[in-house]
Amino acid sequence: MIKLLHTADWQIGKLFGQFETDDASALAEARIATVEGLARLATEEQVDLVLVAGDVFDAQGVADKTLRRLFNALAGYPGPWVMIPGNHDAGLAESVWTRAARLQAIPANVTVCLSPAPLVLAAPALAILPAPLTQRITYTDLTEGFAALDTPAGLPRIGLAHGSVQGLLAEGIDSSNPIAAGRAAQARLDYLALGDWHGTRQVDERCWYAGTPETDNFKGNDSGNALLVEIDGPGALPRVTPVATGRYHWHDRTCALLVGSDTDRLEEELAGFGAQDVIQLSVTGHTDLAGLRRIQRAIGAASGRVRSLTADLSALRLSPTDDDITALQADGYLGEVIDELRQGQEGSDPVTAGVARDALALLASLLDEQRGGDAR
Amino acid sequence: MKLKRLRLEQFRRFRQPFQIDGLTPGLNLFTGPNEAGKSTLVAALRAAFFERHRSSAVDDLRPWGDSAATPSVELEFELGGHDYRLTKSFLHKKRCELKWNGQQLDGTDAEDRLAELLGFQHAGKGASKAEHWGIPGLLWISQGSAQEIREPVAHATDHLRRALNASLGEVATSGGDALLTQVEARRNELLTASGGKPRGDYAAALEQEKALGTELAAVDQDIAQYRQKVDRLASLRQEHARESLEQAWVGFRAQEAEARARLEALQGIERELDLTRQQQSRGEERLRLLRSQLDNFEREERELLSRRDATTAAQRALDEATAAVLLWQPRRDEATRRYDNARRALSLARQEDTRRSLTRSLDEQRRQADAAGAALAKAEAAHADLQALHQRAAAGAIKDSDLKTLRELSARLTENRIRREASATRLDYALDAGVRLTLDGQALEGQGERRLLDTSQIELPGLGRLTITPGGTGLADLQRAAAELEDQRSALLQRLGLGSPEEAESRAESRRQLEADLRGAEAGFKALAPRGLDALRLEHSQRHAGATEAGTLLAALPPPPEQAPPAVAAAEAEEDAAREALSILDSQIATARLAEHSARAALDAATREQASAQARLDDPARNQRRTAASTELTDARAEQDALSRRADGLARQIADAHPDILRQDVERYAKSADTSEAQHRALATEIYRLEVELETAGARGLDERRAEIERDLAQAHRRSTELARRAAALDHLLTLLRRHRQALTQRLQAPLQKHLNRYLQLLFPRAHLDIDEHLGPGPLTRPSPQGEETGTLEALSFGAREQMGVITRLAYADLLREAGRPTLLVLDDALVHSDETRLAQMKRVLFDAAGRHQILLFTCHPEKWRDLGVAARALDSTRLP
Repeated sequence: MIKLLHTADWQIGKLFGQFETDDASALAEARIATVEGLARLATEEQVDLVLVAGDVFDAQGVADKTLRRLFNALAGYPGPWVMIPGNHDAGLAESVWTRAARLQAIPANVTVCLSPAPLVLAAPALAILPAPLTQRITYTDLTEGFAALDTPAGLPRIGLAHGSVQGLLAEGIDSSNPIAAGRAAQARLDYLALGDWHGTRQVDERCWYAGTPETDNFKGNDSGNALLVEIDGPGALPRVTPVATGRYHWHDRTCALLVGSDTDRLEEELAGFGAQDVIQLSVTGHTDLAGLRRIQRAIGAASGRVRSLTADLSALRLSPTDDDITALQADGYLGEVIDELRQGQEGSDPVTAGVARDALALLASLLDEQRGGDAR
Repeated sequence: MKLKRLRLEQFRRFRQPFQIDGLTPGLNLFTGPNEAGKSTLVAALRAAFFERHRSSAVDDLRPWGDSAATPSVELEFELGGHDYRLTKSFLHKKRCELKWNGQQLDGTDAEDRLAELLGFQHAGKGASKAEHWGIPGLLWISQGSAQEIREPVAHATDHLRRALNASLGEVATSGGDALLTQVEARRNELLTASGGKPRGDYAAALEQEKALGTELAAVDQDIAQYRQKVDRLASLRQEHARESLEQAWVGFRAQEAEARARLEALQGIERELDLTRQQQSRGEERLRLLRSQLDNFEREERELLSRRDATTAAQRALDEATAAVLLWQPRRDEATRRYDNARRALSLARQEDTRRSLTRSLDEQRRQADAAGAALAKAEAAHADLQALHQRAAAGAIKDSDLKTLRELSARLTENRIRREASATRLDYALDAGVRLTLDGQALEGQGERRLLDTSQIELPGLGRLTITPGGTGLADLQRAAAELEDQRSALLQRLGLGSPEEAESRAESRRQLEADLRGAEAGFKALAPRGLDALRLEHSQRHAGATEAGTLLAALPPPPEQAPPAVAAAEAEEDAAREALSILDSQIATARLAEHSARAALDAATREQASAQARLDDPARNQRRTAASTELTDARAEQDALSRRADGLARQIADAHPDILRQDVERYAKSADTSEAQHRALATEIYRLEVELETAGARGLDERRAEIERDLAQAHRRSTELARRAAALDHLLTLLRRHRQALTQRLQAPLQKHLNRYLQLLFPRAHLDIDEHLGPGPLTRPSPQGEETGTLEALSFGAREQMGVITRLAYADLLREAGRPTLLVLDDALVHSDETRLAQMKRVLFDAAGRHQILLFTCHPEKWRDLGVAARALDSTRLP
């Protein structure tokens, strides 16, 4: 029996610019840490081999330091690692791989397949058919030739490729670098390890996307896993077990405030997030000044707790109640201004409506301050 | 507010208590001269309200020189339905007390209450100033300040607003202006006040965003270049590998070598062609030689023919010449005969002529001799010797010229004879005995010799005649010349009477002797007969001798012919003509003979040459040579043809091979090989260069750097967007606040406007005064001859400004009254600059206003205000108790 760990799409060097600096660096850091975790996992599970199905690096031009750190992160598993380049780190004439080789950063137990020649290993005894990308984008199926490649009889045939299985994923998602559906069976593969799709996904009984081991977006597509694959022998169906490897959990939330209790629910939800969460929150609907204050408080509290919280309140309309107005002591023409802003945020032009919303919130906070000052 | 009573004590002019009571609700007129205390009353009013009772800055309230005084004011007034009593004393006894409806406030509380009621403020420290006075400051017009309106209004604006807010139902906000100020300040932190351009943090954020954007673009460009280079490296490597595999230059080199070999082969052919052409040209030379040989043979043959022709022609010419000679011979004979005849005739003619001449001379001589003999006889005795001598001399006298002629003739004859004898035909004869021949009539017998100078005939008896013609050209002439010379000499000898030339010589010798003797005798004779006698004797002798001589000569002459000869001249002419004709014929015949000789010589030459030519042709070796040459020519021609064909073949071969193209091929393939090899090397160099470049660039971690910049840019963008939103919100908020405030102000202004216009119409019909944001008077618009004119109040005359100041205050008072605020108007010597008409209008205005407000009017011109309908109170502080 052969036991291997299938992973892909590490995207080392990704920086997450949409977050604040410290959050972004923590997320980038986590990707290396997760690779260390994979090495540990491989050792713990006593796997025979780790397969990395492309996009190890997020870009060709990662810093030398990053490159070295990545390969150092593999140290936790002394067994064989077999990698192929993906579309982000394609095996071009000059690539991150040639650079790594030049820097002598690649450990001896790591094999980078830069050509489609089959790789026959003695221990574990198996044959790997790699389909490395040697161009950034290709429109031909690089696994096409698998069927024609003969490997020593009696050895399991494992395919290693990076691309999108035709007809499986939504149209327009990485439709370049195509891989024909049913390739595993057609090419007599015992297992076809795929990369490119960041969510863990089974294509057929012998073909899986491992997904990225550390989530890197809000798509919510079951990412943050690696696959433990057990193959009893040539021809046997593989047993595939997803293992969670990700550190951070990414949440994309949209909360529509329609009634007062919606605000309560939002508060509860925000309270439920912890340090491993990366949250993107968009609040819509409308609320009064008190509701807005509560939401802002809840967001502030959560921000201090979670890894990252990005809140977008730009679509939330403010509907100050008469009590609000009274509480704000907005007499005279101030009241008129508030009325106008309140109407303005309902306007059809989103820009002017947004400005009106902002102005209303601002006015409310200024009056709040003033009142607070008065209270003192 | 209605002031009812006013009491002063120890207050400026009023050292003693002074009280005014019974003040009416409307107009109250106080009159008095200067220094009467009008202004002191006004000052007391102000002090009562505005100055803190504790103030130590109110020394000026004391009467002059009374430092211990306690200035005090006591007021009674009605306000809001309540009767108030205010008692206030300063300096020495600081006290303030306000009582109304059984209520009482003391000190500062009382003062604050008053400020609130009337709408003014107290000074924080020191004396109260205009800026604290608020509404009373506006409505209480100090002496000479009615025209000043803007400042008092500004100080009163807040109070006015507050008052107005009340009347408009609290539409104004309490904290509105403060909020507006705050919003404006915050907005101006982000945007420039005037242009609304980003500034401060906002501008900095935009700047940073832009800088990062630029940086990102630069890195993007670097990355794009890097990628291009990577792609280029791949394609170069591919190309290099392909080229290495193909090794195109090897093929080119082979092609070059092949072309070169072909070119060299072709050059061999070219050399062969050259050789063939050389052979051709040598063959041509040989052909030319042979042809010339054969031509030579032909020429010789042709020459023989022409020689034959020439011989024939020469023969013919000779025949003709011989014929010509024969033709001329008889004619010449004829001419000879004629000439001989002519010569004989001439000789006879000359003889006869001489005879006649001698005869005549003889006669003459004899006659003269007789005459001279006579004369001589006379002198002969004296000259016997001489005579003899003369006689001898006369006998032997021969003229030297004749002698000379004779000698010449003899010499020429001698020469002639020698020449004749030299060329004469010699005839030797030896005749048998008994034989007698006749030569020209002369008999020849025996043997002898004759020289035949002329054609001679020898008579051979019984046999015929031999004619001998001496040859040679000159003989006949010589013969003739000899005869002529002989004739001349004979004639001369005859004339000289000499028998022979020798005789002439001897006589010449004798004569020379005689003459010598004679010269001696003459010398003697001359002594005897110096003149003519001797001559006569001589003449006589001479004549005598002459006659003798002539007779001698005459006797010596042959006898005259039977027939008289022709005249000498005719004979001479005939002789000349005959000689001439003979000479011509001689010449002709000589020419003919010469021609004949020439023709014969030519014929001989032609014959010889013909023979020589014939001999050459007949040479058997010549024929052999000719045949050989002919054969050789044929061979040579054949050989030339073969060479020519060969040369053509070679030339065609060369042309077909296109040597120039071949040469180009060699060059082209060589260049192609060089180029492709050089390209290959260049490719390798470029690959190396690219590799190095990419290694260097790769170490920069461009993509990671880009991700960093992108991250920073995203953050900068978030920040600038936030600030933009905040700025937009603040701007919007400020705009709204201002607009609403403006709208509110306009609502507040409306009632003021109403009151103002009411008064204005009384003063300036159809005029209109705008109210500004701070409720102050704006521009005045009024009708003018040109339509309408607009200007600020300050542009009006002092009087008009005063009037406007008053009516504006009245309008404010109306406004305040409507708002339920207290109004009290004080006019201290106002409107002193108004003319009668305006003052009348102002009185109407004041009368009208007094219906609503209490007005205290102080004046020092009571006569001007008599028609106000109220009694004037005369003030005179000096008259007080």
